[in-house]
Amino acid sequence: MNRPPATRIEEFIGRLRGGERFALARAITLVETGAATAVTVLNAIQSGVGNARVIGFTGAPGVGKSTLINAYIRVLRQRGQTVAVAAVDPSSPISGGAILGDRVRMGEHGGDDGVFIRSISSRGHLGGLSATTAQVVDLMDAAGWDRVVIETVGTGQSEVEIARLADVSVVVCAPGFGDDIQAIKAGILEIADVLVVNKADQAFAEQTCQQLKSMLGLRTAACDAVPVLATVATTGQDVDRLASAIDARYREHPSDHHTRETRRTRALIVHAVCREMHRRLADEHGDKLDDLCVRVSCGELNVDDAVGVLLAALDRS
Amino acid sequence: MAEATGSDHRSPIRVLVTKIGLDGHDRGSLVVAAHLRDAGMEVVYTPPWQEISAVVKLALEEDIHVIGLSCLATDHLLVPKLMDALREAGLKHVPVVVGGIVPDEDEAILLAAGVRRVFHPGASLQAITDTITGLAETAFSADDLR
Amino acid sequence: MTQKTAIEPPASSQPGYDLWRRDYERQLADPRPVTNRSGIEIKPLYIPADWDSQRYAADLGFPGQPPMTRGIYPSMYRGRIWSQRQLVGLGTPEHYNRRLRRLIDAGVTAISLIPCNSVYRGYDIDEVDPLLVGTCGTTVNTIEDMESCFDNIDIGRISTAMNDPLPFTLLALLLGVARRRGIAWRYITGTSNQSDYISHFVANHMFVRLALPGARRVLVDHIAFCTEQVPNWNPLSVVGQHMQQAGATPAQAMAFTLCTAILYVEDCLNRNLDPEQFLPRFTFFFDISISFFEEIAKFRAGRRLWQKIVRERFGVNSSRARRFKFHAQTSGVDLTRQQPLNNIARVTAQAMAGIFGGLQSLHTDAYDEVLSTPTESAAQIAVATQNILRGEAHLTDVIDPLAGSYYVETLTNQMEEHIESIIGQIDDAGGMFKAVEQGLVQRMINESSREFQRRVENAEQLVVGVNAYQVEEEQAVRRPLERPDPECIGAQVNRLSRFKAGRDQNQVGKALDRLAAAANRPDANVFAAVVDAVIDGVTHGEAVACLRRELGFGEPLIVA
Repeated sequence: MNRPPATRIEEFIGRLRGGERFALARAITLVETGAATAVTVLNAIQSGVGNARVIGFTGAPGVGKSTLINAYIRVLRQRGQTVAVAAVDPSSPISGGAILGDRVRMGEHGGDDGVFIRSISSRGHLGGLSATTAQVVDLMDAAGWDRVVIETVGTGQSEVEIARLADVSVVVCAPGFGDDIQAIKAGILEIADVLVVNKADQAFAEQTCQQLKSMLGLRTAACDAVPVLATVATTGQDVDRLASAIDARYREHPSDHHTRETRRTRALIVHAVCREMHRRLADEHGDKLDDLCVRVSCGELNVDDAVGVLLAALDRS
Repeated sequence: MAEATGSDHRSPIRVLVTKIGLDGHDRGSLVVAAHLRDAGMEVVYTPPWQEISAVVKLALEEDIHVIGLSCLATDHLLVPKLMDALREAGLKHVPVVVGGIVPDEDEAILLAAGVRRVFHPGASLQAITDTITGLAETAFSADDLR
Repeated sequence: MTQKTAIEPPASSQPGYDLWRRDYERQLADPRPVTNRSGIEIKPLYIPADWDSQRYAADLGFPGQPPMTRGIYPSMYRGRIWSQRQLVGLGTPEHYNRRLRRLIDAGVTAISLIPCNSVYRGYDIDEVDPLLVGTCGTTVNTIEDMESCFDNIDIGRISTAMNDPLPFTLLALLLGVARRRGIAWRYITGTSNQSDYISHFVANHMFVRLALPGARRVLVDHIAFCTEQVPNWNPLSVVGQHMQQAGATPAQAMAFTLCTAILYVEDCLNRNLDPEQFLPRFTFFFDISISFFEEIAKFRAGRRLWQKIVRERFGVNSSRARRFKFHAQTSGVDLTRQQPLNNIARVTAQAMAGIFGGLQSLHTDAYDEVLSTPTESAAQIAVATQNILRGEAHLTDVIDPLAGSYYVETLTNQMEEHIESIIGQIDDAGGMFKAVEQGLVQRMINESSREFQRRVENAEQLVVGVNAYQVEEEQAVRRPLERPDPECIGAQVNRLSRFKAGRDQNQVGKALDRLAAAANRPDANVFAAVVDAVIDGVTHGEAVACLRRELGFGEPLIVA
């Protein structure tokens, strides 16, 4: 791919930092596709990163997460803050394609220039989805957005990882009994800074809040502070309380910002290493790779053996 | 088929499938969206009833390669307005295709407004996929910093 | 899915069977199994062993008697022919009124009111792009508009089917007009079509939406209000048509419709409404695809299942409460843009399936619907199709004429079994409300719709002119488009602003406050508040906006 001339890139970075929407959109594309220019852009904006507050929302499909984020954005907008959203959707493991549909609804904020929404598919990213997401968050941050919201479907490990990129993580669930809320127990409750029982106008909402509180009570003292809120996203009921709770959590944990910084840097390094490994594999060991493919597919070697051979080759070069 | 692993630094095709105006019949747009996904594309899929301004904003923020509109109940009459709005937003480079119930007389109007292709009932999914792939490959380059 | 209820007969009991089977297989060019749209495998021949005629009394019985398989009325079409409802939707209220008066002068007593898409979506016409106003229906926003629609028409003597999604502002406006004219509400008859909010969430069509819990409540308010105050009005039409249009198989569409009806009955019972009063007013609305025998079996099975559900689940035994009254429309999905006149043949086959299925009311599609909003000449052919089937073809001489056919009875049993298994799936998911809220129903429909498309693309499902028998067609200019005159629409928008400016603003403000308060008070009846509000001058769009604000907007759930 042809790299644009350096002056073009510099001018582009200026527009990005100046808050031009197209520049941000295109910069995200560069990061997502692993374009060479992305590294230059990311390096250049590092000094401008760290002003946005990053809020993660995670929760199973059907809990009304998108509608809740929509309502949360409404509150932030009323408070005069601008919001950028990175909505992460799963992609098909077979085709790599994705339907990016379970996203914040555009209807309401469709005409609002104070809101920027970008869908990210979870397809094979260099260095993992969390690295890409961290970079997207950095771009949004550097482009001057006050709040950055990360939306993920809370079902797997990578989602937990992404949620950890946030200053404040909100875990959303819907009213249910027993098994219904078991789903959020495994791993995901631990990352919650704020817990929300959405659809609080439905049956069992009160009981679900109680159950979550007792589940939290069983955990470490640090969890004691995790507020459990009930909201009705469709009508916006108590979403302002949620916004205030998020702000309060942010103030309670000033160190979180530093933690995010560290996590982000870590993700960046991992990303860079993966990139370099990829390049070296392709450029220096392409023939070896082809050869190994044949040997694995005819059963002579297994995949682990092949990895060992390649790592050894990389060590030597 | 678009490369899905990202290992060759080529972006998968990002296509916006949406409906403007008042109608919500979305069987066609859902079937098309699923087929494009299976062909390796990233499909930004919206609920029906989008405002024109919302479609423009979406195309811009999502850095869309091709826009596909589904129109079944006279909402295609708004498409020329959408084309104007895309031009005003500096998105003239994003090709637009329309599928659905579009009378012949109106098809000419849409093509004159800059729509690249109109698909009628009975169009095959493969033809739609091929057209979108062709348009994306000629119209889009990630390194174009504009 | 494939079901097999038929027992292979022993050769001895059916002389000649083995010989036939051998000769048949020898002649068979294509040994692939044949399945219908619902996934039931269809045998090449049905014989007495497939259907146990000893079960006649239990499975069929007589028309008007449980299990209702043969029809819901004793005399069926001999006594009362199906009603022929064609949609009337024309630009402004004045246009509509003129067309209506011509129809009434011609002796029509059952009419329909199709509002403009903007009304469906819950807006007044000044809230949407003028290009889209009045292209598909009449613009009714205010009590004045409704007055004009029914100017010089005695609304106490006609039956009006209104496409009126919740919060049912059109009925509210009609009741307002009745009040102004001093006509008691018990004389107002007709049906609230499109009252089935569940169907609007399953298939994203074009209807106004409140968030599901609010929608659920407002529908029951509406049924409760009508039961008490407008007793001759049918407040509910449960719609399977949207689901089948969206891609559900015929069996799925029937199953989801019955599940929806179950939900509504449960909600009405929870409100302490009397099932003997509200059940006879339940009506259903279905799509008729071109899968001829499958559709006939779908309707016969659905009729039998509904009476059983009402008796077994709700303990209601009267025949009247167990009648499965339904309207049906020929499916637009089967129509093709290629060689459009072929659609007349398709509509004929579809309509016949509906008639043999025992419908109460029929809409036949115009052949050019796939090209644009139907033209008047195409609409006339659609009406003539019904007249020919009714008057010339002798289809109506015999009640349920296909009963006793080994195939039709076997297929009816298989469809019933299949429909029941889908109902079981929805029950297991916690009922229709939950299944829709969680996207289960939408997912099932999407899978079916993709499977159908796959069959068309692979020419496993033949479509004349699309994947077979294509001919070079001249790109002829088909006919001029019939679009509303922009000047008329402009005048209508001006009229709306004059109406809004001329109201007692104080009264309107208070009416909206009362509507909002009702929405927030669980013991209030929201529909009653809508009626009061429109009488006080609140417009359709204002009432809907208020309820959207208070009860939330029903975001579509995208399941892809």
